[in-house]
Amino acid sequence: MKMKTWINLLILFLLIIYSIFSLSPIILAIINSGKTQGEILTNILALPESFKFSNYVVAFEKIKFLRSFFNTLLVVVIGCGGIVLFSSVAGYKLARVKTKLSNFYYSLFVFSMLIPFHSIMISLVRIARVTNLQGSLVGLGIIYIGLGVPMAIFLYTGFIRSIPIELDEAARIDGCSDLRLFFSIIFPQLKPITVTIIITNALWMWNDFLLPLLMLPNSKNYTILLSTNMLFGQYGNNDWPAILSVLIMAMLPAVVFYMILQKSILKGISEGALKQ
Amino acid sequence: MKNKNRNLTLFILPALLFYAIFTLAPAFGGIWYSFTNWNGLNPNYELIGFRNYELLLKDKNFINSIWFTMRFVGIMVVLQNVIALFLALLIETRIKTKTMFRTLVFMPNMISMIIGGFMWMFIFTRALPYIANALNIAALNISWIGDPTFSFIAIIIVSLWGGVGYLMIIYMAALQGVAKNLKEAAMIDGANAWQVFRNITIPSIMPAITIGIFVTLNNSFKVFDVVYSLTGGGPGRSTQVIALNIFEEAYSMNNRFGYASAKSLILFLIIFVITLIQLGIMRRKEIN
Amino acid sequence: MKKFILLLTVSLLLVLSMVGCAKPVDNAPRKVTLKVFMTFPRFQEQFEDYFEQFKVKMLAEKNIDVTIDLEMPTSDQAAQILKARLSTNDAPDLFTLHAIADIPDFYKAGYLSDLSGQPFVGELLENVKDIVTYDGKVVALPLESLAWGYLYNKDIFAKYDLEAPQTITEMLNVVTVLKENGETPFLLAFQESWIPQLMTALAIGGVVTSENPTFIDKMNNKQASYQDIAKIFDIIDIIMANGTDKPFEVGNAAASADFAAGKAAMWVQGTWQAQAILDINPNINIGTAPLPVSDNINGTLINLSVSTSLAVSPTSKNKDVALDLLNYILDKQASSKLFEELKFNPVAKFHTYETFPWSDEAMSYVALGRGYRDLSLPGAVTGEQAKLLQSYYAKTVTKAQFIETIDEVWANSLGQ
Repeated sequence: MKMKTWINLLILFLLIIYSIFSLSPIILAIINSGKTQGEILTNILALPESFKFSNYVVAFEKIKFLRSFFNTLLVVVIGCGGIVLFSSVAGYKLARVKTKLSNFYYSLFVFSMLIPFHSIMISLVRIARVTNLQGSLVGLGIIYIGLGVPMAIFLYTGFIRSIPIELDEAARIDGCSDLRLFFSIIFPQLKPITVTIIITNALWMWNDFLLPLLMLPNSKNYTILLSTNMLFGQYGNNDWPAILSVLIMAMLPAVVFYMILQKSILKGISEGALKQ
Repeated sequence: MKNKNRNLTLFILPALLFYAIFTLAPAFGGIWYSFTNWNGLNPNYELIGFRNYELLLKDKNFINSIWFTMRFVGIMVVLQNVIALFLALLIETRIKTKTMFRTLVFMPNMISMIIGGFMWMFIFTRALPYIANALNIAALNISWIGDPTFSFIAIIIVSLWGGVGYLMIIYMAALQGVAKNLKEAAMIDGANAWQVFRNITIPSIMPAITIGIFVTLNNSFKVFDVVYSLTGGGPGRSTQVIALNIFEEAYSMNNRFGYASAKSLILFLIIFVITLIQLGIMRRKEIN
Repeated sequence: MKKFILLLTVSLLLVLSMVGCAKPVDNAPRKVTLKVFMTFPRFQEQFEDYFEQFKVKMLAEKNIDVTIDLEMPTSDQAAQILKARLSTNDAPDLFTLHAIADIPDFYKAGYLSDLSGQPFVGELLENVKDIVTYDGKVVALPLESLAWGYLYNKDIFAKYDLEAPQTITEMLNVVTVLKENGETPFLLAFQESWIPQLMTALAIGGVVTSENPTFIDKMNNKQASYQDIAKIFDIIDIIMANGTDKPFEVGNAAASADFAAGKAAMWVQGTWQAQAILDINPNINIGTAPLPVSDNINGTLINLSVSTSLAVSPTSKNKDVALDLLNYILDKQASSKLFEELKFNPVAKFHTYETFPWSDEAMSYVALGRGYRDLSLPGAVTGEQAKLLQSYYAKTVTKAQFIETIDEVWANSLGQ
């Protein structure tokens, strides 16, 4: 019995240590974002004498927070919308039609999941230039559709295979057209996997850095990450109160999103991964 | 049959179109450019056969970046999976605090590694030297970002910070699927905790381990954000990963797009081969 | 209430009719949009204001309604974006480039207009004009002309009765005196690789100009090696051995703050950074001096360069307006104020505003013949030197490897 208590305490201790490791950058950033430069130099671990919210006001202005936020949101909405719409329709047919062509399409999509982004980056930027998508937020969203459909199709196909085909047949007797059948009968059944797909893709696009960096040269269109990166370039390891308040603001949307939707996010992530 | 296929193609067409333009075309484009001397500046370029690939063999920076990435991947695959599984096991023993710990450990995964890298830069360049001075521990007062060895460790630490939570979620999901009655039966038969873990838990979460290793391999080979924001590949090129080397070749130094394409094709081949090998081994193990 | 509404309507109508009168429909101004690409994010406001003046002028004088689409990416991304744009026939109407590094390549690729006949050319200072002339043609308008060496803290030097050293032996003395008094001689800021690269730029400039003037040509013909100028490491080693700690954690902004706080006596950094240092500590006295590379005083030289110049794309759809804007940048009335505000050195004969003490100090050396025109190294070599210097400091690259690598990179840059 005593042994068990000790083990119990040890486990708790280890978990607390790791949690501190996990949170320390965020906590240190929050504490120090409210200080003056001088306070950071004298004591990094102490709480600020009085929390300077003015740092945040400045940060809000500096990274044009609202504009950057809505820029990022626009990209995510277009990207996720397109991915869900096109992949669900495609996944449905891939799951239901069993022909050689169907197999070919399916392998075509799945194969590309191995291609690292860096292998297509250079040509992709060129294609984006030629098609006039570079420099446009809508364009970036559209490109994300092209990059995101394979994974989503893979997940949809797998999921739809588990839905009994009798459902289709019952509807067909009623004389539904294929597309109407899909949207009225099948699509509502796909809600769990759709949520998973939206969450994983939204997180990917929200936190993606390299593609926006290459696609959005104009600071008017900067996403939150690009604005943050630019600001860091200006203040580079010097004006930490300013940098840290920018960092906190930049990560806030994702953290709030996580706090609200934690259950679905965690479920989505483990399901998304386990189905691979 | 024909009708079926036409119908199928119709449904797939929108997805296929986007996919073809923005993934397939650039993938083949990359292969094509890798045989040219396109330099980004000059609109004209010509085919030069395997010249780029010959150059690659002698490119010390590229070869170094491959070795550096390999070392990074090796350490990440082991540490990230071991720590994640360990944490998952520990958290599964909690009843009241389970959700809280899970939330905390996973939190960094929500944050972009660009932001994470900048936050850790504060810790490495400001907080740790401060603590070292205050407590008089010389061992902490090192140049985390400026010394190649410590920069490597710094990158590993930050990558683990960001990545462990994700795998932990996968392992937790898998652990919940381990049959309780099996474990209990083994316990009654006198097996100790380690034996249960070794003989019952591990085999039943093998699919999750496959995925965990697959995910880590894939992500670690492509690592970019954390290195970009934390060390920029420096000092010099001592922490330059493959992805950063390609990026530098294409966009920040020479603009040799053709040559950079050849490098990116090598990256693809590495990931492809390693994934195949790994999947092959794991599948066989699962069947046994 | 009714009266108020009536009043409002009447006045509104009045205003509308006045607007209508002011702009007769039959003589509507020609609408022109110019895309301008510049690498001066720190001067965005100043340029925007200046372009406003230009718009007003164009509307009044030529009845052209100009819209200017100004793009100012950060300098580390600018080159990439610009090159991508040029190579896909999507050139901005006007764009900035690095006169010495970029003009040869850009000219050969056909991305630069011949500006020789433009009014501003006659006003350029001769030594500045040389730098933007290629193949006998003026191909860009010089904006930022620089005369620079390293910066030193005059207050610290005065405190120990030191003068800017003119030879490497004098430099060693200065270093010794400073260290005996507990001062750090050099500020090292290696996080951004372009800052250490300034050391190589100055050292190579001094050695090549004074002892090996045909070195660049010989390198371009594969008849030389960096081994021939291995001397450059003499001064580089001195700087690296007597500098501040943890240089890889110090970027440009942090280094300016450190220099302003007197953490080191010297910093190999150009005069362009002086103002930022003064902003942090207005009481500091900053000097600039040529970097000694040996005991030959003829190699202790100030670097003269036009680093950023403005060019006009030959494919511009509104080239007439683009050229108007270009000439307006060196407008006799307006430009002095702009150049003074931006703290740029004079580039035109009519630029007679007061310059800064550090610029004057640099120019005093130039007046003695102790200046050299910035060398034209291949872009890849400059970039590689920057990275290698970081590695050299971190001791992951030896002197021999440094030399070998640069020789290779230079040779490769010729092959294309």
